[in-house]
Amino acid sequence: MDFKLPNLGDGVEKAIVSTIFVGVGDAVKLDQPIMELETDKAVAPIPATVEGKITAILVKEGDTVATGNHVVTIETNGGAPQEPVAQNTAPPQAAPIQPSVQTPVPVATQAQPVQPATTITPMVANSAQGFSSPTGAEPPCAPSIRKLAYDLGLNLSLIQGSGRGGRILRSDIRQYIQYLQQLSVTPQQPQPVETTASTPAPKKSESIDFSKWGPVQEENVSMMRQKIAEKMTESWTQVPHVTQFGEADITDLMDLRKKYNPIYEKQSAKITVTVFAIKAIVAALKAFPVFNSSYDTEKQVIVYKDYYHCGIAVDTEYGLVVPVIRDVDKKSVLELSQELQQVAEKARDRKLSIDDMRGGTFTISNLGGLNAGPFTPIVNTPEVGIIGMGRGEYKPVINPKTKKGKIRLFLPLCLSYDHRVIDGADGARFINTFIQALQEFPESELEGVE
Amino acid sequence: MLTRIKTDIVVLGAGPGGYAAAFYAADMGRDVLLVEMDNLGGVCLNRGCIPSKALIHATNVIDDAKDASQFGVQFEKPKVDLDKLRKWKDKIIKNLSAGIGGLAKKRDVQVLKGRGYFEGEKILRVETDKGQKFIDFEYAIIAVGSSPAIPAAFDLGNKRIMTSTEALDIEEIPKKFLVVGGGYIGMELGLVYASLGSQVHLVEAAKSILAGADSDLVKPVLSHAEKIFKSVRLNTKVAKMATKGKQIEVSIEDANNKTVELYDKVLIATGRTPNSNNLGLKDIGVQLNDQGYIKVNDHQQTTVDHIYAIGDIAGGILLAHKASKEAKVAVEVICGKNATAKFSTLPAVVFTHPEVAWCGLTEQEAREKNLNVKVAKFPWVASGRALTLNKQSGLTKLIIEPETDRLLGVGIVGHHAGELIAEATLAVDLGITAEDLALTIHPHPTLSETIMESAEVFYGHSSHMYSPSGSDKKQPEYA
Repeated sequence: MDFKLPNLGDGVEKAIVSTIFVGVGDAVKLDQPIMELETDKAVAPIPATVEGKITAILVKEGDTVATGNHVVTIETNGGAPQEPVAQNTAPPQAAPIQPSVQTPVPVATQAQPVQPATTITPMVANSAQGFSSPTGAEPPCAPSIRKLAYDLGLNLSLIQGSGRGGRILRSDIRQYIQYLQQLSVTPQQPQPVETTASTPAPKKSESIDFSKWGPVQEENVSMMRQKIAEKMTESWTQVPHVTQFGEADITDLMDLRKKYNPIYEKQSAKITVTVFAIKAIVAALKAFPVFNSSYDTEKQVIVYKDYYHCGIAVDTEYGLVVPVIRDVDKKSVLELSQELQQVAEKARDRKLSIDDMRGGTFTISNLGGLNAGPFTPIVNTPEVGIIGMGRGEYKPVINPKTKKGKIRLFLPLCLSYDHRVIDGADGARFINTFIQALQEFPESELEGVE
Repeated sequence: MLTRIKTDIVVLGAGPGGYAAAFYAADMGRDVLLVEMDNLGGVCLNRGCIPSKALIHATNVIDDAKDASQFGVQFEKPKVDLDKLRKWKDKIIKNLSAGIGGLAKKRDVQVLKGRGYFEGEKILRVETDKGQKFIDFEYAIIAVGSSPAIPAAFDLGNKRIMTSTEALDIEEIPKKFLVVGGGYIGMELGLVYASLGSQVHLVEAAKSILAGADSDLVKPVLSHAEKIFKSVRLNTKVAKMATKGKQIEVSIEDANNKTVELYDKVLIATGRTPNSNNLGLKDIGVQLNDQGYIKVNDHQQTTVDHIYAIGDIAGGILLAHKASKEAKVAVEVICGKNATAKFSTLPAVVFTHPEVAWCGLTEQEAREKNLNVKVAKFPWVASGRALTLNKQSGLTKLIIEPETDRLLGVGIVGHHAGELIAEATLAVDLGITAEDLALTIHPHPTLSETIMESAEVFYGHSSHMYSPSGSDKKQPEYA
C-alpha cells in the first residue's frame, strides 16, 4: 500500500524528514516508527499503520513533506498492495501525530515519567539570541529553577518557558537537558534553515579574571578585530598549514631598483620589493596552477582560476587588511607600483570597499619593512597559498672553486600553503620557481618608462 | 606555647552573614570555626536591626495611643521608663545572642572569641583573652561587616555626638536633638527620639530623604516627619561642630543661609564604613575596592580563591538579608556547587512611620535606565483594611514590563509594608506576570489585597478603584 502521511496536528501543514529508520526490503511491524518528522513545534515519530515490507521510500532525510504525501510503499503480508485506489481517496487512517512530549500546561509541573524511546522536543527559545526582555530582565522562572540552571551551567535564555508569561518550569529544564543529551548521542542531521537558529549557542570560553595577578585594562574589540579573529580562526582550524622557507638572492634585483627608481619617481611611483614579488609570483603561479586555486569541500572540486589577483597584506592602525590588486599578470611594473601605493593609502584611510578586498587568488605579506625576520603566515582562505617576506640580510657567499667570498643580499621567504590540495614537493618546487623568478628578474620588465 | 587549631572552614565575624555561613557549612557536614570579637549576632542583632526595631515598636505604641483619640479612645499621656525600655531591648538582644550560641553548640560549630588577623593565606591568628591562637584553615569566609562612619571633622570625642550605636542605648531623651543624615538610620532613630519627646531637627544634604526609594513612596514618610520633627531641612549641610558647654554648637548651611545652632545631642547618620582594616588582607592578596570593600566575584570569592567575603564587607547594599543570602552562596561554592546571588531579588525595608519597602526594579531606576515600564498604583485610601486600621496613608505600586505584563518591581509605603513586601519579592523572583497577581485570591480584608488590586489597576478593573476605561488599558488574557 502507499503509506501516506497522516494529519500532522492542528495548524501544522508541513514537516521536515529528520530521520528515516527503515530501508527498502525491511520488514515493519504495526506501530513501528518508520521515520521521524520535525515541525516547528515538535519532533515526532511516524509509526507504520500496517505490517509488511518496505518496497519503496519516496522521500529522503531533509525533505519537506505535508499531510497526505506518499512517503513509503509497504507491501502487506497478503502480498499485493491493498486497494491502492481506494486508499488514495480515503482519509488517512492514522490518528493525528501527537508531539512525543506534550507541551506542559501550567498545572503539570510535577515530574513526568520519561519514555526512554521518545524523541524529545527541543524546547529551545526560537530566536538566535534566545530570550530577551525589553527591559533587560532575566528569563522568568522560580528561584529554585534559576539556582538549578546556574548550577548546571544552563543558559536559561535558550530555554523556552511553558508557564504563563513564558515562565520556565522544572519540566522545561528536564526537556531541555534530554534534548541536549539526545543531540550529543545522535549526530544531528544538517538542520534546515528555519531551525538552525534554535541550536544552543556554542560554549564560550570562560573569562578569566586577570586582575587577580595585577592591574589590567579592557578594550572593546572592534568589529574589524572580530572579523580578523574569525577569519584567522577559520583558516587556522580548517586548513592544514605547511610553511616552506627559502631565500632569494636579491642583490641584482636591488641594483635594478636603484637604477630605475629615479626614473620611476618621475612618474610618482616607487619600485618596492613587493612589486618585484608580485611579478615573480605570477611566474610561479603560472608554473604551478594549483597555487592559484581554491578547494571547494562542498562540491569536492578544486577550482583553478585563470586570473591572477594578488592580495597584499597591509598593516593599518585599525588592524590587518588585505586589498586585492587585480590582473597582476597583465600589469607593468610601473602600473603595479602605482596601484600598490594607491591601495595602501586607501587601506590606511579606511576607504577600501568590501569589493576591494574580495577575489584574491594569492596573497603577499611583506614584513621586511618592519625589520622582521621570517615568519609563518596564515593562508588567506579561500586562497590556498601565501608568501611571507622578511627583512633582507647580507650574507657571505663562498665560491667553492675560487674559495673567494662575496657579500650578497638575501631575502627570507616563507610560503604557507593548504596541504589539503598542495603536496610538500610542489611547495618546494613552487618556492624555488619563485626564488628563481626574483633572482633572474628581467631588466626588460623595467624598461620603457621615461 | 602557640595554640594551633586546624579547621576546614573558618568564618570571621558572627553577624547575620557569618553565623548563617557557619551554620550552613556545619549543616553541610563541614568542620567550622566561628571567630567573633564581640557578642554573637553582629551589628544587626546587637547594634542595628533588632534594637532599633524594639525601640520603634515601643514608640509606635506611643503614636498609636495618641492617634486613638481620633476614633474616640483616649489614653493618658504615656510615661516612659527609659531604664525599663532599655532593659527590655537588651533582654531581646541577650536572648537572641544566646540563641545563636546554642545553635552553634548544637551544630558543633566551635566559637572563638577574639580578633582575627590573616597571618598567611591559610593561617588566621586570633587574639583571645587567653592569648594568641593560630587557625590553620582550608577556606575562610570573611563577614566582618561595617561600622558607622563619622566624618573626621565631627569626631570631637564628645559623647553628645553619637552614631547609631550610642543612639540605640537611649541613655536619655535629649531636649534638642539633631539628626544629620536622612537615610534609613537617621529617619528611623529620629522618629524614635521624636516619639519619646525630643525636639528633632533633621538635616539632609541631598534633595530628598531615603535615597534609593521612589519619591512617591518617600512622600508619606516625609510629610509625617515634617509633622513630628521640629524641622526638616533638605539640601542642607552641617559645616562644623564644636563643643559648647553641655551642648554642641552646629554650623548649618544651605544654598542661602548659614546658621549656628545649639543641640543637646547630635546623631551622625551619614553612612557606614567597611571594617576591612587591621585584618592583614593586603599581605595575603585579598584586594579591596576604592571604598575599602573587599572585591568579590559572582561566587563571593575574593581575589584569593579559597577566601570568600559576604555581607557588608563585600560591598553593595548593606542589608542583613543580603549577607545571609551571600553566606549560602559562599558555602555552596565551597561545597563544589555553582552558586550565585546575582539573580536574586533583594528587598529593602525602612522601618519609618509609615514603613517603606521595595524590591526589584524601582520606578526611579527604570527612568534612569530609560526602560519602558508601566506603573500601576493602588492608594491605600481605597483599602478597607487600611481605613479600619486608621492607616490610610499608604500606596502599593507595581512596576511592569508592558510588552509581557511581567512584574519587575514592587514598592509599598504604609503600615507593615515590610511584611507585605515578602509576597512581592517572591512574585518578582518568580518572574510572574501582573495577571498572575490579579488572578491570585487575596484574603479580605487585608492590606495584602492592595497588591492584587494594583495588578487589577494595571488592567483597569480594580473593584475598589475606578479607572475610566482608556484605550491604553490592557486586557488580560483571561478577560
